[in-house]
Amino acid sequence: MTLANSYGTTTVGARAVSRPEVEDFLYAEADILDAWRYDDWLALFEEGARYEIPTTDYRRWSPHESGSFVNDDWDLLRARVKRLKSRKAHAENPPSRTHRLVSNVRVFEESTDALRVTASFVVHRARDGQFDTYVGRYEHLLAVTDDGLRFRLRRSILGHEALPAGARLSFIL
Amino acid sequence: MWDASQPKATAPMIVEDWDRLTFRVNREAYRSEGIFAREREAIWSRHWLYLGHETEIANPNDFVVRTLAGRPLIFCRDSTGEVRAFLNSCPHRGTVLCRETQGSSKLFQCFYHAWTFRNTGDVAAIPDEQAYQAGEDFRAAMRLRAVPQLASHEGFVFVSFNPDVRPLLDHLGEAADYLTMIEEQHVGGMQTLPGVQLYSVRGNWKLAVENAMDGYHFSPTHNTFVGYLRESGYAVTDDDQYAYNLGNGHSLLVLTGHGGRISMIWEPRFGADERVRTQAHRAEMAERLGERRAHYVADESHILYVFPNLLLFDIEGLSIRQLEPVAAEQTDVRAWQLVPRDEEPAARALRMKTVVSFVGPGGLATPDDIEAYEAVQRGIDATAGDARSGLDYSDMSRGMLDEVKGVQGRSIDEGAMRGFWRRWVDAVGIPDGLHSSGERPASFLEGREMR
Repeated sequence: MTLANSYGTTTVGARAVSRPEVEDFLYAEADILDAWRYDDWLALFEEGARYEIPTTDYRRWSPHESGSFVNDDWDLLRARVKRLKSRKAHAENPPSRTHRLVSNVRVFEESTDALRVTASFVVHRARDGQFDTYVGRYEHLLAVTDDGLRFRLRRSILGHEALPAGARLSFIL
Repeated sequence: MWDASQPKATAPMIVEDWDRLTFRVNREAYRSEGIFAREREAIWSRHWLYLGHETEIANPNDFVVRTLAGRPLIFCRDSTGEVRAFLNSCPHRGTVLCRETQGSSKLFQCFYHAWTFRNTGDVAAIPDEQAYQAGEDFRAAMRLRAVPQLASHEGFVFVSFNPDVRPLLDHLGEAADYLTMIEEQHVGGMQTLPGVQLYSVRGNWKLAVENAMDGYHFSPTHNTFVGYLRESGYAVTDDDQYAYNLGNGHSLLVLTGHGGRISMIWEPRFGADERVRTQAHRAEMAERLGERRAHYVADESHILYVFPNLLLFDIEGLSIRQLEPVAAEQTDVRAWQLVPRDEEPAARALRMKTVVSFVGPGGLATPDDIEAYEAVQRGIDATAGDARSGLDYSDMSRGMLDEVKGVQGRSIDEGAMRGFWRRWVDAVGIPDGLHSSGERPASFLEGREMR
């Protein structure tokens, strides 16, 4: 971790990335997910990327050595997207209506080609006459490419003690 | 207590017709708070309940807190290494004693008046104790309240709030050997891991039991998971797989054709290295357990239900699932991954990925099961109180002819569910809860010949 070399800007390799660029990436992702545009969502990942949701008792352990809610490698992530696009993904057919708020975005240098980004999220989900709220923190690794930012690791860490009744993770959190 | 004045409750809970071969369950069983209260008393306060696994509290002084049958408990290993379960409530005024979820401590101190207890249950300190005239008697009367009965089988710890409950092994019956088979899977035994799935569903707990004992739903409900397996080179089948009633409400589904299991049944999606490991492990098991035993332990995938609150999903990997009914229409669920104590990192990583690819509220399959329980719970509102005879009942007749013939029921029939419901209606003791017409078989197939 290094401090931004000028205010609100983090340098990765030869590229300076501003916090608004990272925020725009996260806001665009939120819109894509709220509109159920799953192919567009998958295009935000670099090949080989991972998607993780640790359990609510998470204490920084490795997903390879502990239970998780979601522990997707690239194969499973693509299978998840394929499933969500199917009419037979019963838990999301009809799809949940979601509304996402992203805030408290912070950007750190992770390596010569990647940023570590932390942010807070609130996701509201409406389905079946119920209205659920999911609160937590993103801890992503973003690859900095010539085409823009891409998820290398997309990780959603829930702030709940347990998932409340009905609040399953059948959609993308 | 059962309120006989409730008119809906006077309809039988189960209606069996041996002429038409139908079996129906009264939907009040899923929604009535009166029945929920009766279950609390007749099932959850009287039977053995699964509390947790010994490896959750591996070392002396380890503890976790957990609510079971609505009662807050401390599950701990005392300083001498003995496994214990106490009510998590200060004997003084009832304050929650331990407000951490887990940790390690020789002492539990109530913050309210600083009464302090050893993890053996003994009183360690009562501030200004000399003000109590009864002296040692007072101290003895203020020990931590232990759950009346606690017993362990193969690392699985059960408790009962009934001091007169029968011995655990009598309750487990034929299910006991399946727990042994799990412990036998790997040299060195099994352990739970951190990363516990804690979630809750808007459905009655019995819908979760039915779903687990229901092989019929797999292909339609898990259509997308079946498609994922097919694309990876694995064809799902229901051929030659059976559902066994193990007695006492316990049951077993054999679901070998629904997918592989890490270190046991290889599938293309597990990769070449895992194939080599699986072959070596299978040979080791045959050597250690004998070929016949190894066959049952390794070559079959199981879902085991231990009445009333434990499900073991020996599919994909191995998950322990505990059901904690909160209300008639809500159930808390807890799931632990049970893994070999000795496992190389690459195999462990593959296991952790594979298990949760299916199992849990973020998997590619369990969310569709949750959707099913919740959709049933909402859907049955449609017939609540409907005066037309028989409409407010759910059908579980599939495969009843096999019961008449005394033939082992298939996994895609509903025999394991009927076995559960017959045990349930007996356990809750609702007067005239079961209505049977026609010629009922003198007995039902129970257990399984494996020798």
